[in-house]
Amino acid sequence: MQQTEPTAARTPDAVKVVKTHGLPAIPFCIATAESPGVAFVGMSDFAVHRIDLGADKPEASPIGEARHGSYVTGIVRVGGTIVSGGYDGALIWWDAGTGSVVRRVEGAHAKWIRRLALSPDGTRVASVADDMRTRLWDVATGGCVADWGDNDVKTQHGYPSMLYAVAFSPDGRFLATGSKTGLVLVRDAASGSIAGRLETPVMYTWDPKARNHSIGGIRSLAFSSDATLLAVGGMGKVGNIDHLEGALRIELFEWQAQSRRAEIEDTKYKGLVEALRFGPGDGWLVAAGGDNGGFVSAYATSDGRLLAQEKVGNHIHDILLAADGASLVAVGHQQISTVTL
Amino acid sequence: MHPDHTGRGTTVHPQGSGVAQPGSGISRRRLLAMSAAGVASPLVADMSAIRLLRSPAFAAELRKQERRVILLWLAGGASQFETWDPKPGVKTGGPFRAIPTDVPGIHISELLPGLAQRMRHTAVIRSLNTKIADHGTAAELMECGRRNDPSVRFPDIGAIVARELGRLESTVPDYVSLYTSTEGRRKGTSGFLGARYSPMFLSESMTPPNILRLENLADVDHHDRAALRDALARRFTAESRSLAVDSHLSAYQRVQGMMASADLFDIGREPESVRARYGSTQFGEQCLIARRLVEAGVPFVKVARAWWDSHGQNFETHQELCADLDHCMSALLDDLRARGLLEHTLVITLGEFGRTPGINASLGRDHFASAWSCSLSGAGVRGGVAYGKTDEEGHTVVEGEASAGDLFATILASLGIDPEHEYMLGSRPVPLADFGSEPITEVLA
Repeated sequence: MQQTEPTAARTPDAVKVVKTHGLPAIPFCIATAESPGVAFVGMSDFAVHRIDLGADKPEASPIGEARHGSYVTGIVRVGGTIVSGGYDGALIWWDAGTGSVVRRVEGAHAKWIRRLALSPDGTRVASVADDMRTRLWDVATGGCVADWGDNDVKTQHGYPSMLYAVAFSPDGRFLATGSKTGLVLVRDAASGSIAGRLETPVMYTWDPKARNHSIGGIRSLAFSSDATLLAVGGMGKVGNIDHLEGALRIELFEWQAQSRRAEIEDTKYKGLVEALRFGPGDGWLVAAGGDNGGFVSAYATSDGRLLAQEKVGNHIHDILLAADGASLVAVGHQQISTVTL
Repeated sequence: MHPDHTGRGTTVHPQGSGVAQPGSGISRRRLLAMSAAGVASPLVADMSAIRLLRSPAFAAELRKQERRVILLWLAGGASQFETWDPKPGVKTGGPFRAIPTDVPGIHISELLPGLAQRMRHTAVIRSLNTKIADHGTAAELMECGRRNDPSVRFPDIGAIVARELGRLESTVPDYVSLYTSTEGRRKGTSGFLGARYSPMFLSESMTPPNILRLENLADVDHHDRAALRDALARRFTAESRSLAVDSHLSAYQRVQGMMASADLFDIGREPESVRARYGSTQFGEQCLIARRLVEAGVPFVKVARAWWDSHGQNFETHQELCADLDHCMSALLDDLRARGLLEHTLVITLGEFGRTPGINASLGRDHFASAWSCSLSGAGVRGGVAYGKTDEEGHTVVEGEASAGDLFATILASLGIDPEHEYMLGSRPVPLADFGSEPITEVLA
């Protein structure tokens, strides 16, 4: 994917799938490479793969011999280093060029690592996991420099909770996390103190009567460039939680004012919102996810109105949005797609 | 054995249990001596021994042992990959690891750490091929051990156990079924055995409705009325006794018994430490009720835990539900064992089917009945056994294929009930386990 400098703010008026290619396993996360048109992807075969997006038939190739012990669900790149995290609770530092393992931190978390986020200055990696801990890691040394545990380990109904989502604000001051029960905590990334607390209970999707379990949770978070807006993604109320058939749901907060600016529920394409990004200028944001099928939708941040949307292959787990906001790469169930906005 | 007249007016003539089998090679005296010595169980470990179950002496002895069943019904269909037959590292295996158990060589999913440490009490069957993968028909198949015949409504396992192990003089229910969730809710059926063996079905609350004395009726009045009715009944039966009269009296006694047994459903009567071990989830509380019921002599209790139908987000679903199953069943096994009940109580985990090896785009697994698992713990079971085998990716059974009928026969045999014992529907013999089914002797103690 071409990385271009932001130009004048533009607003998407259409979502178009340019190309889609099959993958041999399920990709859960994607990060750019230093080389244009190349991406690194964490997949269900426990490996981190390199994909040349510019090839006629992009193929995923493991970057080295080493493997996680389970699905790879978080990945960031800092210069020539990749950091990956997985359901095995481990973090691995890789040399992006050779694919060799630079460092391996087993037991970085006691349970599944759900996502990683890179601080804008590239010095810290944040990890969230089902042990309900949020940890900061020194990219250079691999040391754990902060460990926060303000989320309940169990849901209010007595079941294991999960900490699905994490995002840094673009200025690096704040770190937001989102849980299964719909709790967003915004921290001062330096001190760890709680700077904001938001509730999105609809996203929990707890069904107390028919099926006696839940399927949702906060799956994605994104700050606007000035860090005043925080978008929270998940799924709306669902009648049959056997399937991801709830409306895609986004709640847009002026989080420091504890004010919900927009509540987006969209039923044309259903399921979980797995990824959120603000477009250049913060006038719109893009959401991706799905049920069995995938979707990409763009909404105005002023009032949450739909700007454009399209079905995009299978359920999408992560996206890379180009700096100019004109295109994105989506990794979905055994697929990778290039999409223009 | 209970009377042969069912509530539907169909005469059922139990065969076999009242008929000594020639050629068993073991005398009644020897059999009773072995049973009294606690060595009857090994007899069940081969087919010739299973034939001994037809001996009336053996049946009577087993009845004295008061065997019980707690069926943990995993409604919607739990995944074998995420429970008893993990396949880590293969394409179909999912993200979870397999962990060792307290039985060398047996590994189960990491989602069941508590049960892994109690595998010595459990036999896992990994080779069920039950073919039917729609909820309703499959549930019926697994509950009854056979597909229903258009002309016959077969009883489910609970009704059969109620009939075979229940006691006529018992004042507690013979068959209690707890199913609180609404999805896939099934009451259970006594089929041709009639309403006498239908479950006491609890769906809206964990306490049976309408069994408490009316508030405007004083306790002393309640007892006086019962005493008067008993006195009149005794006088009447002294002059005119019949099956109908006995049945009428029995019904009153059972109602009185059920009213008296209301406390069994009140877990508030358990010490806080015991309640804490089971936990605060609905399933935990219902497992505790199940223990109280079997301890009081209820032969069959079903606790349904819905809803495992994980077409979307299979792994999230199993993290949630397996945690519940692991915690509650571990507490149940420990509690039964501590009270000396585990050797008399069979604890089953079973649903209508398993889940597909393929992982769909919603990270779900769909219905799959070709190669899946269940577990049996406690009474009559050889613990520490993993029976049967599926292929590397879990698509097919490659060793020890077992049908629903085979599992049904195994459950019956573990309880000391002859699977080939026949009910007669008119002139039609109906074996307890379906024609052609065989107990899996490898998992029987």
